[in-house]
Amino acid sequence: MSTAIELKGITKSFGNTAIIRGVNLAIPRGERHAIIGPNGAGKSTLFNLISGRYPVTQGEILLNGEVVTGLKPFQINRKGLSRSFQITNIFPRMSVFENIRCAVLWTLGYKYSFWHRLGGLKDANLRTEEVMESIGLKARRDTLAGVLSYAEQRALEIGITIAGGAGVILLDEPTAGMSRTETADAVELIRKVSQGKTLIMVEHDMGVVFDLADRISVLVYGEVIASDKPENIRGNPAVQEAYLGTEAH
Amino acid sequence: MARLKYRPLNLGRWLVWGGTALLMILLPQILTAGFTLTLLSQIGVGIIFALSYNMLLGQGGMLSFGHAVYSGMGAYFTVHALNLISKGAFYFPVTLTPLIGGVAGAFFGVIFGYVTTKKSGTTFAMISLGIGEMVAACSLMFAGFFGGEAGISTNRVIGEAFLGISYGPSIQVYYLIVGWALICMVAMFAWTQTPLGRMANAVRDNPERAEFVGYDTHMVRFLTLVISGFFAGIAGGLSCINYEIVTAENVGALRSAGVLIATFIGGAGFFFGPIIGSIVFFTMVTAIGSITQAWAFYLGLLFLVIVLYAPGGFASLIAMHVPVIKARLMRRLWLPYSAALATGIALLAGLVSVVEMTYHFSTEAGANPNMKLFGLAFNVTHAAPWAVASALLVGGFIISRFAWNLVGRTWADIVHILQEQSA
Repeated sequence: MSTAIELKGITKSFGNTAIIRGVNLAIPRGERHAIIGPNGAGKSTLFNLISGRYPVTQGEILLNGEVVTGLKPFQINRKGLSRSFQITNIFPRMSVFENIRCAVLWTLGYKYSFWHRLGGLKDANLRTEEVMESIGLKARRDTLAGVLSYAEQRALEIGITIAGGAGVILLDEPTAGMSRTETADAVELIRKVSQGKTLIMVEHDMGVVFDLADRISVLVYGEVIASDKPENIRGNPAVQEAYLGTEAH
Repeated sequence: MARLKYRPLNLGRWLVWGGTALLMILLPQILTAGFTLTLLSQIGVGIIFALSYNMLLGQGGMLSFGHAVYSGMGAYFTVHALNLISKGAFYFPVTLTPLIGGVAGAFFGVIFGYVTTKKSGTTFAMISLGIGEMVAACSLMFAGFFGGEAGISTNRVIGEAFLGISYGPSIQVYYLIVGWALICMVAMFAWTQTPLGRMANAVRDNPERAEFVGYDTHMVRFLTLVISGFFAGIAGGLSCINYEIVTAENVGALRSAGVLIATFIGGAGFFFGPIIGSIVFFTMVTAIGSITQAWAFYLGLLFLVIVLYAPGGFASLIAMHVPVIKARLMRRLWLPYSAALATGIALLAGLVSVVEMTYHFSTEAGANPNMKLFGLAFNVTHAAPWAVASALLVGGFIISRFAWNLVGRTWADIVHILQEQSA
C-alpha cells in the first residue's frame, strides 16, 4: 500500500454543467505531482474535491487507502492532507507567528483545549519557530499577516499548509503572480518543505512544473488526457495539441 | 490583539490587575453619593456580562441578539436555588450561588448553542434573536418557573452570619460582586490565551482556513458559546443576589440589546473594551437616569456617534493614542482637543437644552411651564429660552466643525510622522 491519493471515477457537476468528468488518478507516496491544463479545465475544482471543500457528484477519493469522499475539510485535514489556496487564504489580523501556531495546534493534540496556556506550549511554539525559519519569515514574526508583501503572504500560505505536518500537500498555484526571482525562491521553498512528502500542485508556470514535478497530469475539460513523466508529457502529441500548442507559456 | 511574550511573570499585567482590584475595592470608600453603591454593583455585574458577550462578538465574531437568555436563565436558577436553600432543601453557601447560575447558563448554552452556532454571520444573529424571543415567550407560559409578571423574589440573607458576612448590607453584596468580577475577568482574559480562545479568533477571521488546519468551526463556536453562557450565568446569579428578584426582563430583548450597546460602546476589538463599556453604559443608565428622563435618548445618541465615528469604541480611541504618547507627540493634540472640547460643550449644552425642554414641554408644560436647567429657571412656553438653546445647538455645531477639522488635520500630520519614524 503505497498510494497517497487515489481518485476513482471522480465527477463533479454544477447544475447541468459537468466540470470534472470521470477522473482516475493514483499518486504514489513521496511523489511530486503537478496538474496542468488550460484555464477552466477544472484543476482548482479537482483540488476542492480532494480537500473536501466541495462534495463530489460521483466517484471515490482514497487518502492513504482510506475512503474520504464526503468528509468535511477538517476531517480530511486530520487524516493528513493539507492544502493551500490560489487566492491567499491566511488570518490577516493575526501576526505571522500566530498564523503558523494556529496551524500546528490540532496536530500537536491541543484541539479545543481551554486549559492550556498558549505561551506555555513549548512544542507548539518551537514547531512554529521552525516553520517560520523554513519559510524565511522569522524576521517578520510579529508583523500582521495582512500587511505582508504578496510574496511573503504566499510563503506564509505555504507555511500554514505544511505546519501541521501533513503527509499529503496540495498547493494551488503557489507561484501565481510572482516575479521571476520570487518564483525561484518559491520553487526552492516548495522543494525543501515537500521533502519526504507527497506533493500535488496546480501550476501555470511550466518552468516550475518541469523543475519540480516527478510526474505530470494534464487536465483538459475535466478529463485527464495524460499522466506521465515530464519528458514524456513534453513529447506527447495529444498534450501538445490540447494544451501546450494553444497556450503560450 | 495581545501578543504573547515568553515571560513567566508579566509585571505589567500584574500591575493592571492589581490596580483594577484595588480601585474596585476602594471606590465605595471614595465615592459616597447616594446611588454610588447601586451603580458600582451594576457596573461590576455588567462587566462580567459584557465580557462574556464579547467572547462571542469580539473574540468569536458572533453578533448575538439574545445573550440575556444565558444570564437570565442563570438568574432564574440562582433565585430558585436561594429559595430552596433558605427552605433547607439543601445546603450551599450563598457566596458560591453565582456558580449555580453559571452552570445553568452553560447548560442552556449547550441546548441552544448547538443550533445557533452552526452558522456564523447573519444566520447566527437571526437565530439568536429567535431564541431570545422564544425564551421570553416561555417566561409568560411557564409562570411557575418564571413567576409571571411579578417574577420570583428571594432573600439573600440565609442562616447565621459567617464572620460577620450575612449579605444583608449592600456593601457586602458589592464586595461579593467585586470578588466574582475579578475572578471572571482574569478567567476570561486567560481564556483568550488558550488554544480554543485563539482558534475562536481564527474562526472569526477566516473560518475556511480554520477548517483546513483541522478545526471544526461549528465546534469552536459552540464551545465558545457554552463558556460565554457560563460567565453570563454567573453575572445573572450575581444580579439575582443583588436585587433579590428575577423577572422576565432578565431574559428579555432589552437586556440583550443593552449588553450589545455596552460592549460596542466600550470596544469589541479589545479585551478591556467591554469593561469601559459597562462603566459608561451603567453610568448613563443609573447616574444620568436619576437626573433626566431622557437618558435613553442620550445613550442612543452616544451609541450612534460611536458606531459612526469610532466603530472600535472607547478602547480603540485609547489604543490609538498609545503610539502617539510613546512618540511624545501628544503636545500637538492638546490645542485641537481643547478646542474640540470647548466647542463640544457648547454643542452638547445646546442639544441637552433642546432635548430637556422638549421633554418638559410635551410631558409637563400644561401643569407647570416652569423648569430649571443648568441652574437657570425659565418658562418653557416662552420663546427666549428656545432661541438661546437653538443658538447654542446650531452655533455649537458650526464651530465644532472647525474644531474637528483641526483635530483631523493634526491627526493626519501625526500619522504621517509616525509612519516616517517606523520606516
